[in-house]
Amino acid sequence: MEALQTNQLTKTYGKKTVVDSVDLHIPQGSIFGFLGKNGAGKSTLINMVTGLIKPSSGSFEVLGQSGNRLESLQKEIGVLPDYSTFYDDLTAFSHLNYFQKLLKQSLSRQDIHRVLTRVGLEDAVHVKVKKFSFGMKKKLGIAQSIIHQPKLLFLDEPTSGVDANAVLNIHSLIKEIAAQGTTVFLTSHNLNEVEKLCDEIAIMNKGSIQTQGTMKQLREQYQQAIIVHIHHRSLSEKEQTQLKNSLKDLAADTQIAENTSEITVQANELIPQVNKKFVQQDIGVFRLEVEEPSLEEIFLNLE
Amino acid sequence: MLTVGFREFKSLFSSIRSIVIIVVLFGVTIGSARLVRQFEAPLQELGLGNDAYAMGLMLLLILAAPLFVTSLSHNIVNKEMDTRTIRFLATKTSRSNIILGKFIGSFLFWAVCITVALLLIIPFSKSFSIVNLVQSIIFVSYFVGLTLFLSTIIPKPSLSMFLGIIISIALPVLGLWSAGTDNLFIKAVGYVTPYFYYMQEESNNYYAYFVAFFPILFILLSVFIFRKRDL
Repeated sequence: MEALQTNQLTKTYGKKTVVDSVDLHIPQGSIFGFLGKNGAGKSTLINMVTGLIKPSSGSFEVLGQSGNRLESLQKEIGVLPDYSTFYDDLTAFSHLNYFQKLLKQSLSRQDIHRVLTRVGLEDAVHVKVKKFSFGMKKKLGIAQSIIHQPKLLFLDEPTSGVDANAVLNIHSLIKEIAAQGTTVFLTSHNLNEVEKLCDEIAIMNKGSIQTQGTMKQLREQYQQAIIVHIHHRSLSEKEQTQLKNSLKDLAADTQIAENTSEITVQANELIPQVNKKFVQQDIGVFRLEVEEPSLEEIFLNLE
Repeated sequence: MLTVGFREFKSLFSSIRSIVIIVVLFGVTIGSARLVRQFEAPLQELGLGNDAYAMGLMLLLILAAPLFVTSLSHNIVNKEMDTRTIRFLATKTSRSNIILGKFIGSFLFWAVCITVALLLIIPFSKSFSIVNLVQSIIFVSYFVGLTLFLSTIIPKPSLSMFLGIIISIALPVLGLWSAGTDNLFIKAVGYVTPYFYYMQEESNNYYAYFVAFFPILFILLSVFIFRKRDL
């Protein structure tokens, strides 16, 4: 059983198609990253699979159950919507107390305190939300999404507008939740965050899924060239010229310098051959680093 | 459902508004009762009852209940949609529960306000009529239901406030007008206002209880529309 499966899921507003025939398969227990520029359709997709908006066509299943029966699954799903506002007259504690009652949970005061502490709101438990900063509201949004220990957690931009320390705390919280078996569906503009946290990634553009896979799969798919940084013993100018000539057939580009060289090859299989050329010319190699494309580079290549 | 209702009830009571409403209900009832006493005979002929104080309250409700309810509850649903807090509710409980809870909270608020106002009148009227209480609450429930419906179909709180005020003024006018006109259109409109049922010359005014079906209809329509709505 998959945590989430969408089949040709589509949302149109008038003549504009915001989400176009999206097929997603998200395995249970994974942290799934969902990337895309503003207006790509990420939030619309999340809102559809969490029951906030109705699909125009297509279908979806959540935790093995049809999307039409989503209301019966509310205890199993946690949602942090993209834009979180709260009731100004309630405190952080009152919010969580209200929400846990809606979910028919029976959490004690200590349980609620524990959740608020976990997201870093331990000093604001009884402070009214109208006095909260944007970052604090975001933390409260995360707290309300995890209060019932859901099996599937949707986090729409959980770290946007949050300070650096809180970001680290949220990252560790997401990892902790996933380690307990919760599937996390995460959208973010922060590519490093997605790269760091997610097991699998989908990139959405103009309403469609442009690519999907693990970081390794995406690298293989979108890697245009591999850059190998080689730190070696000091080379004379003559040795540098000889080395450059010997690498001519292997490398797409060579930047040979006195102590460090940068060799660009088209495939991983060519790296040992490059190393062999160094050995053949009796050039001692101290360190060899392979530069892999970051998610940012893959993302930019897709445009 | 009850959780949403309790929160709604509490938030209505947590403001100064509830005290103002009770004071207005009490004060105007006393004032209008004194006025009604001067016209007791003609009003009895119109079938408006015997108890001047109860009549005073009914008169106030007939004329002002739509405005009272609209001013307090015009944004009962659409405010949550406007601020998007509805997203927290809709991902935690069913949409039917949200609508029913909203109605229950607002209905209870008005039921308590009317009951307190009637209890405060006891020292003056020396009587307490359960029938009057029930009929007053049913009358107000019509407008609670109507306001809930308007707040569900109109996405903007400012627009629901504007339309609510217009309807609050138009309904009593049309309802009372329908009682004394042969104009078929006005008469037809009169049937969907509570005024027609409250002005029937029936000894116990059983017609008034028919009005209770209207809020049920408004709730069902609101649930139907709200379930289909994108939040």
